[in-house]
Amino acid sequence: MSVSNLLENWAQVRHEHPINDKPHDPYKWAMAIDLDACTGCNACSVACYAENNLPVVGREKFQHGQQMHWMRVERYWDEDGREFPDQGFQFLPMMMCQQCEAAPCETVCPVAATNHTADGLNSQIYNRCIGSRYCSANCPFKVRYFNWYDYPTTDNVWPAEMTQQLNPDVSVRGKGVMEKCTFCVQRLSAAKVVAKGEGRIVREGEVQTACQQACPTGAISFGNLVNPESRVHKQWEAQQVVLDKDKQEKDEKEERAVLRGYRILEELRAYPSVMYLERVRESAV
Amino acid sequence: MYRYLRLPILLVGLFLAVSAYAANNSQPALTTEDGLGPQVQQPIEFPHNRHAGLHDASDPNKGGMEINCQYCHTYARRSAVAGIPPLQKCMGCHNSIDSVKDRPRIKELFKYWEAKKPIPWKKVHDLPDFVRFNHERHVKRFVEQQNRPVQEACGYCHGDVKEMTVARRQKPLAMGWCASCHEKDHPVTAEGGTPVDGQAYWYSFQKPVKTSDSALAPKAKGPNDCWQCHK
Repeated sequence: MSVSNLLENWAQVRHEHPINDKPHDPYKWAMAIDLDACTGCNACSVACYAENNLPVVGREKFQHGQQMHWMRVERYWDEDGREFPDQGFQFLPMMMCQQCEAAPCETVCPVAATNHTADGLNSQIYNRCIGSRYCSANCPFKVRYFNWYDYPTTDNVWPAEMTQQLNPDVSVRGKGVMEKCTFCVQRLSAAKVVAKGEGRIVREGEVQTACQQACPTGAISFGNLVNPESRVHKQWEAQQVVLDKDKQEKDEKEERAVLRGYRILEELRAYPSVMYLERVRESAV
Repeated sequence: MYRYLRLPILLVGLFLAVSAYAANNSQPALTTEDGLGPQVQQPIEFPHNRHAGLHDASDPNKGGMEINCQYCHTYARRSAVAGIPPLQKCMGCHNSIDSVKDRPRIKELFKYWEAKKPIPWKKVHDLPDFVRFNHERHVKRFVEQQNRPVQEACGYCHGDVKEMTVARRQKPLAMGWCASCHEKDHPVTAEGGTPVDGQAYWYSFQKPVKTSDSALAPKAKGPNDCWQCHK
């Protein structure tokens, strides 16, 4: 989606499922997160705060649900009669924007501030956003965050000496706009400029997201799903997860412990770009 | 009591509130009366016309020296920002040009050099912080690939700098103005430029169609994705 498309055909903004008639070429950014490798250490979340100029809102605002963590680690466990419930099955997904192919947030934005890019990202344009918060209401993953305060100026989230550590490649958002994980679009953009100058596409491993870079166990892999050489492509293929299916047809013969790839809330047909690999636990093996 | 005063008081109050808000939020005008950017006072009145202007065949002491823009603004072709040439770049030539060493502006230049201080040049073309603009891509696209003259390619955004002394913003540099060019069909290649196959991947451009008919030379639009420029 683009300026010219906006002007030519407003209905194009409500384009349903971009991969049907517009296959991704040469980029489709996607992610695979191995929950078995994840230890829940939150390094990814901290890296995201540092990379994307996220305000640290403090305890009180967090309790009001005004936290701004683009990437959060959620902990759930079964209470299956153990002495300590967290000895049992733990589910530690890193939740961030799933960059859905048919994103529910895009269709409801009244000003088209969030729309699809050619490389399969769900863009958020802060200048265009009027703060209706409709996208957040319609997001099934609840990964969009609203700026309730003018954090850069009023709330002292970045004391004077800390403004020097803000990333100049990312806007510092003002009051009244929605924001969310961008798959570190500033890094993608920089890598594409280098690649374009050399007459090629971005190679596997050339670009990393901040969370991927910080992950001590390498649980997060990120790359170009179109490129058959990329780790993400191989993982999706090995787990038999297809981007444009809402119900994955998996090979029944394979062990369940081998095929553990899934996408969250797939049945809602948002076609998310993030695949999770289920945690291997005693009951499953 | 005084019911008839309610509306006027409300209106006056509203007016005061709005004007107080407007006075606190006064921003510099985007353009001046003649449609150009503001006049920027530079520490040294740098004569662009003398350096980059055309030769005057009748009198070699007049006219310019036709120095390539990229000789001083060397980072434009290899990075996002064009940068400001360091003082060393000025001295590289001016150290050995004895004929102008007595001029006031050159004396000023040497003062900075001897004090080992950089010249505090002021920014003339300042884009908002939320814009991601890349000089390298534009120079590669128009100078290397399409073989346009450097002064013409730079001039698309910077105006006819070779006629100026101190540079002044000539174009609005607003989003609509950028998009007006990105939406045009630009010819992709030209005589002497890098051919299509040897050039950058055509991501986010319309991939040009190759034809044998020279009149149907491949054309392409600029990228028009919001995230291409907005960060």
